[in-house]
Amino acid sequence: MSFEKQRDEVAALCKKLLADGAVSRVVGFREGGVEGMSLPYIFTDPAGVDMLTWNSRCLPNLNGYLTGGEGNTAIVAKPCDARAVVALISEKQLRREDIHIIGLVCDGMVDANGDPLPACVECSVNCPPVYDDLIDDPDVAEKTGGEQVSNDTSLERFEAEIDKCILCFSCRQACYGCYCQTCFMDRGSPGWQPTVPGRGDKMLYHAGRTMHLAGRCVECGACENACASGVDIRYLIREVTNFVGELYDYRAGMDLDARPAMLSYAAGDREVGFLGGDGDGH
Amino acid sequence: MSQAKAQDPAPHTREWTPRIVAFLCNWCSYAGADLAGTGRNQYPPSVRVIRVPCSGRINPIYIIKALVDGADGVMVSGCHPGDCHYLAGNFYARRRFTVLKRLLTTMGLSPDRVHFTWVSASEGARFAGVVREVTEKVAALGPSRIMKGGDMDEL
Repeated sequence: MSFEKQRDEVAALCKKLLADGAVSRVVGFREGGVEGMSLPYIFTDPAGVDMLTWNSRCLPNLNGYLTGGEGNTAIVAKPCDARAVVALISEKQLRREDIHIIGLVCDGMVDANGDPLPACVECSVNCPPVYDDLIDDPDVAEKTGGEQVSNDTSLERFEAEIDKCILCFSCRQACYGCYCQTCFMDRGSPGWQPTVPGRGDKMLYHAGRTMHLAGRCVECGACENACASGVDIRYLIREVTNFVGELYDYRAGMDLDARPAMLSYAAGDREVGFLGGDGDGH
Repeated sequence: MSQAKAQDPAPHTREWTPRIVAFLCNWCSYAGADLAGTGRNQYPPSVRVIRVPCSGRINPIYIIKALVDGADGVMVSGCHPGDCHYLAGNFYARRRFTVLKRLLTTMGLSPDRVHFTWVSASEGARFAGVVREVTEKVAALGPSRIMKGGDMDEL
C-alpha cells in the first residue's frame, strides 16, 4: 500500500496551494475519529496541513463541506468525491472555477474490521474522472468494472430492510446529493411524516429519497457507511442508477458537460412499463 | 344484453371495489375524462380524480403517498408527448414515471398497482377504456395493504 506516499504528495501540494494563496481552504481528512476513522477537516493554514491524513479509513464524502467560506476551496477527493463535485457543478450548486480538485487514485476503503466496504467492492471508478491535480498510485490497477451484485426485488427483502430503519436520516445527512434546504420529510406543511411513523412512512422516505437521487447517485456508499442500523437500502438506488444508465446513457459525475438525465429529455424516450406502450416509445 | 346485465354487480353491494387515485393533467386528460362523461362512455366508478396543472407537476412522492395512505392503485395521465400545454412538462414526467415504476417494482410492489398513460382532450372513449383496464388490473391484485403503520403483507 502506498497511502503514505500519496499522503506526502497531497500534503506537499496542499501546503503549496495554501501558501500561494491559490485556495483559501482545503477540505481533507485528519485522524481522530472513533474506530480509526478519519475525520473531515478544513485546513486553512499551511502549517496545519501536517495533520492531514490519507488512509484506508477516509470514508465520509467531503462534499458537504465545500460551500461557504471565502475564496477558492480545494478538495482531497477520492474518485467518488470527485464525481460528486462534478455532479454538483452540473447541477449548478458549485462553480468549477471555485473548486480545485486534488484527485486521488483509490483502491477502496475498509470498515473497522479491515474488510473492504461493499460500495468499494462494487466500485468501478478508481480514478477521478475530473481533476486539477492527480495523485497517482502505480500499485492500483485500472478497474474496468466492479463486482456485480444480484438484485433480489422481493417484497420480503424490502420489508426486512425497512424494519431495521429508525428514520434517523443519517443517510440523508451523509449524502452529497441531499442538499435541499428543507427536506420533504422535515416539512410541516404538507406534513409528509406523522409523529409516529409506520412502515408506510419509511417506505415514503426511502422511495422519495431514491427518486430524488435518481440518476444522481455517485455510488460512494456514504449512506450505507453512515447507517447505524445496518440497513442495506442502497440496492434501490443501485437498481435505479443502472436503469437510468441503461435507458438514458447517463452516469452522474463522469462528465462536466453532460446534462443530468432527469433534467433533460428526448422526444423518443422509451416508455418502459407504460399502459398501452410497447416499451419502445412511438 | 341480458347476459351482460347478469354480470353487472348489483348496486349497493358491500363487495370490495378498488380505490384508484387518478392524477390527470388539466389540459388533456382531465378534459378527456370530461368528454367521457359528456359522451356517456361507461367506466367503473373506481377512480378518484385529482386535477393537476401538468403531468410534469406530479411529484413522484404524491404517487407513493397515495399508495401509503391506502389507495389500491394509482393512475397518471397527461397530454401525449409533444402536445404538452407547457411544451415539455410531460417529457420530464415520462422519465420520472419510467424510473418510478422501476423503483416500485424493485421494492417488491406489483407493477400493476401504478399505471401511466397519455389521454388527449378528444379521447373520451380512450379514457373510459383506460379506466376499465386499470380497474381490472388493480382488482385482480386485491386490496392494498400498504397502510399507515400497518403491515404490507400483500402489496
